[in-house]
Amino acid sequence: MWKQFVRKLQKKSSKSDAISDPSCSSRSKDSGASGDSIQKTSGSNAASNRSATAAVKRMSSAVFPASVVAGIEPLLSFKDVPNQEKQNLFIGKLNLCCVVFDFNDPSKNPVEKDLKHQVLVDLVEYVSAGTAKFSEQAIAASCKMFAINLFRVFPPNNRSSSSGGENEDDEPSFDPAWPHLQLVYDLLLKFIASSSVDAKIVKKYVDHSFILRLLDLFDSEDPRERDCLKTILHRIYGKFMVHRPFIRKAVSNIFCRFVFESERHNGIAEMLEVFGSVISGFALPLKEEHKMFLWRVLIPLHKPKAVGVYMQQLTYCVTQFIEKDPKLASTVIRGLLKYWPVTSSQKEVMFLSEVEEILESTSMVEFQKIMVPLFQRIGSCLSSSHFQVAERALFLWNNDRIVSLIAPNRQVILPCIFPYLEKNTQTHWNQAVLNVTLNVRKMLSEMDEELFVACQTKFEEEEQRRAAAGEMRRITWERLETAVAAMKPVSGYIPVLVSNLR
Amino acid sequence: MAMIDEPLYPIAILIDELKNEDIQLRLNSIRRLSTIARALGEERTRKELIPFLSENNDDDDEVLLVMAEELGVFIPYIGGVEYAHVLLPPLETLCTVEETCVREKAVESLCRIGTQMKESDLVDWFVPLVKRLAAGEWFTARVSSCGLFHIVYSSAPDLVKTELRSIYGQLCQDDMPMVRRSAASNLGKFASTVEQGHLKADIIPMFEDLTKDDQDSVRLLAVEGCAALGKLLESQDCITHILPVIISFSQDKSWRVRYMVANQLYELCEAVGPESTRTDLMPAYVRLLRDNEAEVRIAAAGKVTKFCRILEPQLAIQHILPCVKELSSDSSQHVRSALASVIMGMAPVLGKDATIEQLLPIFLSLLKDEFPDVRLNIISKLDQVNQVIGVDLLSQSLLPAIVELAEDRHWRVRLAIIEYIPLLASQLGVGFFNDELGTLCMHWLEDKVYSIRDAAANNLKRLAEEFGPDWALQHIIPQIMEKINNPHYLYRMTILHAISLLAPVMGSEITCQKLLPVIITASKDRVPNIKFNVAKVLQSLIPILQQPVVEQTVRPALVELSEDPDVDVRYFASQALHACDSVMMST
Repeated sequence: MWKQFVRKLQKKSSKSDAISDPSCSSRSKDSGASGDSIQKTSGSNAASNRSATAAVKRMSSAVFPASVVAGIEPLLSFKDVPNQEKQNLFIGKLNLCCVVFDFNDPSKNPVEKDLKHQVLVDLVEYVSAGTAKFSEQAIAASCKMFAINLFRVFPPNNRSSSSGGENEDDEPSFDPAWPHLQLVYDLLLKFIASSSVDAKIVKKYVDHSFILRLLDLFDSEDPRERDCLKTILHRIYGKFMVHRPFIRKAVSNIFCRFVFESERHNGIAEMLEVFGSVISGFALPLKEEHKMFLWRVLIPLHKPKAVGVYMQQLTYCVTQFIEKDPKLASTVIRGLLKYWPVTSSQKEVMFLSEVEEILESTSMVEFQKIMVPLFQRIGSCLSSSHFQVAERALFLWNNDRIVSLIAPNRQVILPCIFPYLEKNTQTHWNQAVLNVTLNVRKMLSEMDEELFVACQTKFEEEEQRRAAAGEMRRITWERLETAVAAMKPVSGYIPVLVSNLR
Repeated sequence: MAMIDEPLYPIAILIDELKNEDIQLRLNSIRRLSTIARALGEERTRKELIPFLSENNDDDDEVLLVMAEELGVFIPYIGGVEYAHVLLPPLETLCTVEETCVREKAVESLCRIGTQMKESDLVDWFVPLVKRLAAGEWFTARVSSCGLFHIVYSSAPDLVKTELRSIYGQLCQDDMPMVRRSAASNLGKFASTVEQGHLKADIIPMFEDLTKDDQDSVRLLAVEGCAALGKLLESQDCITHILPVIISFSQDKSWRVRYMVANQLYELCEAVGPESTRTDLMPAYVRLLRDNEAEVRIAAAGKVTKFCRILEPQLAIQHILPCVKELSSDSSQHVRSALASVIMGMAPVLGKDATIEQLLPIFLSLLKDEFPDVRLNIISKLDQVNQVIGVDLLSQSLLPAIVELAEDRHWRVRLAIIEYIPLLASQLGVGFFNDELGTLCMHWLEDKVYSIRDAAANNLKRLAEEFGPDWALQHIIPQIMEKINNPHYLYRMTILHAISLLAPVMGSEITCQKLLPVIITASKDRVPNIKFNVAKVLQSLIPILQQPVVEQTVRPALVELSEDPDVDVRYFASQALHACDSVMMST
């Protein structure tokens, strides 16, 4: 039974890498020998795999003389082989792990699965010990093993495809192979981080295609997997300087696709988190390319309806940019105003929070560039019929920094927001909003009594004029339309054409 | 009205409104762009309005979207097709904005304008535009450009054609996957305008590049276009260039790619001809029907009838039918449901014997499926079912299914089954209907969900139409009379509604004798909602009833209602009285 299993594993692994693995021919010769030795113990060998491993361990030193190099028995433990053999054993174990098992059916190959688990654990231990330098062959074998195990296609997302909103609180679908995947991720992380792995060689194998496929995995529904990926991506970005521009471009492509095409991706928050530290590492003055990333990718990321999932990380990225270059503040706020939510009150609250955070580090000059459109927007939030939005907007006045920005510019800002405050005091349904409005109003009137009164007078005049203006507008349009209707059609076929096309 | 003599300044109106901070006003004015253009006249529209729009495109996406749409139908307002090029600059700018909807609409409008333009104008104005967009700095412009090549290509001189093909080739290899995706999805459209010789030399290599793209999403769109491309090629070229790609895609590791193949396979069969279909595509299709991924099986199962139609019956029976049998007990309800929606179409293909022997058991098992959608899909193809298995067998197996669906806990399922009842009635005939389904139909009138009660009332009307007034008088009316006394006012309202629907079908006499008294009694109901509904129903009955009846019975009741304490009752009663009056006047 043992013999069969080992053979099967070897056959599978050698089949999948027949070309790249120079050791396979000598191994087949060797497997006869190991088969012999195993047969001796097979009678006493129970199905229990633990005792089986132990059996191999026991006999290994006796059966494999130090001279058998290439075809080393992959199930041996690292501590049981001499140092010069370890590298080969490492490769042998990696090749063994290139066999991927079907976890959808738990009854399939349970013994083999357990064994692979053990081998993976061995590998992780070996890499984290970090004793010897890795040969290029070992690096190639590692990357191949990572690719075969990790790069897979996710199953259809049933939550969104089947019956829409009805089962929204379904569990995310977890890959049943996670016990293995987790170890492979662990190994990849240790491998990338290890000082005994030569970055110059690794970058040949951790190439653009490897990175692209790694980035594809960020769409996993499993937060544990995304967490692993986040750490790994971070390390790769740190270690391989040459890949940095490529990684930035590839990730921004994913962001763009998410914003402009699909609006569906599970790993935006994680990738933004990595970018948070990438941005804080940008050299000054900021390159044009990085500013473009801010305008063309980060700002549009405010648009998708799922923005709440990654808002925290996004805000962090944006504020990192502003801290690097305070002159970006006005552009960022203009961008936020452009993507200001129309119907989602939840998003509106988030936007207000981000505005507050940005204003904290905005200079007076930058502030003055955008205060008019900004406070028109904030004004309409002040009297939002959703009390959370209104409250959030009113709370901006609790921020001393913001008040100190407003105070010198009150001549401009107060007229923008006064009508909304006034509207609140007259008609807002929510008692809390009403109270806070009154406080803010009081604060503003204490700031500049005279201006306040002027605004009040102007507001009353405007109110009266507004109704008249609306009526005027209606009449003007009406007249325009009657005038046009009286004209003869531009040419015969046109009206038909136009009405058909609408 | 004092200012009626003031001159109109249409463009001033527009400018004024487009600057307003209220987006609703901006939207209103941009929607009336054509009004403004007509008021301005063609020349001023060209010289003032269009340039103004070209410069003012920094608005909200919503406004830009409307602008992009309006400009697409603007040719009449600028003086006809010879001036069409005037419209290109503002649309070109809209092709480069960030918002996808705006860009797509702008491309659509450009295509619409381009198809009307003269060839020489296309070369002078449209070709440079396409080139500019294709060389755009940000991906948005390049994405838009991909959708415009097919408009200009056939009008262009040879030299320009060569250039256009090479530009498209570059777009297929663009740095940004967004652009490659757009190039992939527009390739079929572009290819359809390219000459046969260049198809092979230039387009096929582009297609092959795209199918090898390292981004899944790009490959996916390339597959999507392969059927369109295949149809353009000679069958032999299709077999050498497209077929191998498809066969390998049908075994792609990404289920999305396989899904696309499953969706496209049928059309591809048409392109490659029967021989290759039999040897290559059918095995691929059978594999897809047995795919591991349910999504792929859903797509494949949905095409099973179409696929069988192009196969010889013998092959279909031998290779496809066994798969169909497996699919009918698939673990995924969505697969079974997809199968159920098309399976009936297989009957004529397979012939009578195979149908009865093999298809019928599958069909009956789907009719007993535990998942309501599967059963519904079968029942919705009832007319086809009937032809195949005959009324007797049908009624035996159908009825239990229907009864169960009629009480399904999802109201949408109940609604769906109600909507099939009239069809069922016409297929099964009166006899079968009376015994079994009559009670069900009455039962729905007392459903907890409004939509069901509403549909039930409608259903009664359609049944009365189907079987005639005499039948309805016997089988529907008596039960309705009973139910009008239901203690719950909502159910009484449903009955009123049913009566108002039935009355026109039943005709004046029966309405007068049977229905009207019930309504008059209801006008004394204690619930105001019933009373104003009575008023509405009476109003709707006026045209049916004869004049004396209206005067003697209807009017007094309405007069009484018009003095009701409830304001709504009074309102509707007075409306109805007005209607009485106007009928009086007209006679």
